[in-house]
Amino acid sequence: MKKPAGMKKRIAGLPREVNQIGRTPWVLTVLAYGLPCVFILIPLISFLAYSFFWVKGTEVHYDFTLLNYVRIVAEDIYLPVLWRTCILCLEVAVLTILFGYPVAYFLASLDGRKKYVLLMLLLVPLLMSYVIKIYAIRSILGGTGFLNRFLMATGLIQEPLTIFVFNLNAVLLALTVLLIPFAVLPIFLSLEKLPRNLLDASADLGASELQTFVRVVLPLSLPGVVAAASFVFVLAIGDFLTPQMVGGNSGFTFGRIVYSQFGTAYNWPFGSALSVLLCAVVIIAILVGSRFGNKRGVA
Amino acid sequence: MKRLSPGTIGFGLLTAFVFIILYGPIFVPIISSFFTVKYGQVDWSNANLDAYRLLINNEGILTALQNTLIVGVSAVILALIVGCFLAMFYQFSQSPGRGLVQFIIFLPFLMPPIITGLALLIFFREIDFERSLVTVIIGHTVFVLALVYRTILVRLQALGMNMVEASYDLGASGWQTFRLIILPNLKSAMIGAAILAFALSFDETMITILVTGTDNTLPIRLWAMMRLGFTPDINALVAAILGFTTLLVVVAARHLIPKEFTSREA
Repeated sequence: MKKPAGMKKRIAGLPREVNQIGRTPWVLTVLAYGLPCVFILIPLISFLAYSFFWVKGTEVHYDFTLLNYVRIVAEDIYLPVLWRTCILCLEVAVLTILFGYPVAYFLASLDGRKKYVLLMLLLVPLLMSYVIKIYAIRSILGGTGFLNRFLMATGLIQEPLTIFVFNLNAVLLALTVLLIPFAVLPIFLSLEKLPRNLLDASADLGASELQTFVRVVLPLSLPGVVAAASFVFVLAIGDFLTPQMVGGNSGFTFGRIVYSQFGTAYNWPFGSALSVLLCAVVIIAILVGSRFGNKRGVA
Repeated sequence: MKRLSPGTIGFGLLTAFVFIILYGPIFVPIISSFFTVKYGQVDWSNANLDAYRLLINNEGILTALQNTLIVGVSAVILALIVGCFLAMFYQFSQSPGRGLVQFIIFLPFLMPPIITGLALLIFFREIDFERSLVTVIIGHTVFVLALVYRTILVRLQALGMNMVEASYDLGASGWQTFRLIILPNLKSAMIGAAILAFALSFDETMITILVTGTDNTLPIRLWAMMRLGFTPDINALVAAILGFTTLLVVVAARHLIPKEFTSREA
């Protein structure tokens, strides 16, 4: 009598036990939804809310106002700087792709182990101290830096160039050097996905290497290029330390303005409103990137 | 593509050039750590370890290094626990809003660090939570969570449900299944993710500078010192960090790159 009962229980219990995988205690459910909400969503919402508050002295007044946004539009410094910063970051994106595409193409054309070792080497500089890299770049570009002494030694210039010191050009070059690896990666991935037999077919049909590249490889890798561009653009526009370090007084970017509102200017609500604008630009860039680019490249 | 066409050579040369650009800013401080540099001129005749001797006596830097390690290790452990838990929760349970929560987890990684940093800064101020190393740890955890979550989720999806179901069939409890089946299978993904997350945390500057109190991590300390120019011991530190990071990358590569690429021809 006992045995069949036990059997019955076990058989009946089987689906339930399997079901257990999907059945979680409520504490875990609360945590699974709560943790991301408390530490990510709520901070982001409070930051959005702050952009509608206003400040007097050091005190934040918590009543709804659109004054911050009105001020952004009304004063003719914020939107022009945002526009200039967007142009700058687009230039950075274009430059990193001009440098990054050949590298990605070369890496993708290598075989086996060599390819991945070189790819690794390309990514190592990303893990180097970011602050040190900016400092080194600044000292390379500076008046008595390596670049100027090299150019003077080769006789190309007589006097040290100052066009790369403490201005937007310096920011442009520094960001490009810092961000090239981020451009290579998505392009490399899109080139990797390219079926080899398409290249063979193109060669079979009598296309030269250049023709194959222009007519086959380039169009098919464009999604990777777009992904790379949006990737680099987002990283560049969010960077406020590089412009601060190499930009001097004339290299003012939008990120620096935002940061200054939280430091010296001490106007958090206004800074939040500016950041909301920055967010909007970033979201547009990401949407463009994922609409026209390959999503796998970014992920 | 074995033959060397003009195109390949051109691309190869450009690649070499890019590598020089990328590594130039790294080698400058390394060279300066062994040689004396005066007025932008390197004195090659006199290699010494003075910079390293100065480094081990520089308390400010060592404290900052210690803080960085505390933050990095804590953030990685927290991110591993939370990331593993969230990945399992959203992989195994049919909860509504999975996509939305996943999107939220990815936000700090997608948005510029300045946004994440500012959001946390305002949040901490509003809940009256004083800025300290704890806020830095929370900031870093939020930042690296997406990476850890994603790595573990991908591995879980590759693992499939069969093994888990088999384990339950054989009478294992939920905890036993987790400890004996899931965890061992996640090990290499977790190690890889941990190393990458630690590397990210180690160099995180923009979120840290916003959410830190009076405690400095290494990048913040360097940032503060950079205005005055670097002393030789900073160069020594950079060289040491370079060595350490390269080691980490090699170890991470072994865990993250598919086996076929590392074992073949090796």
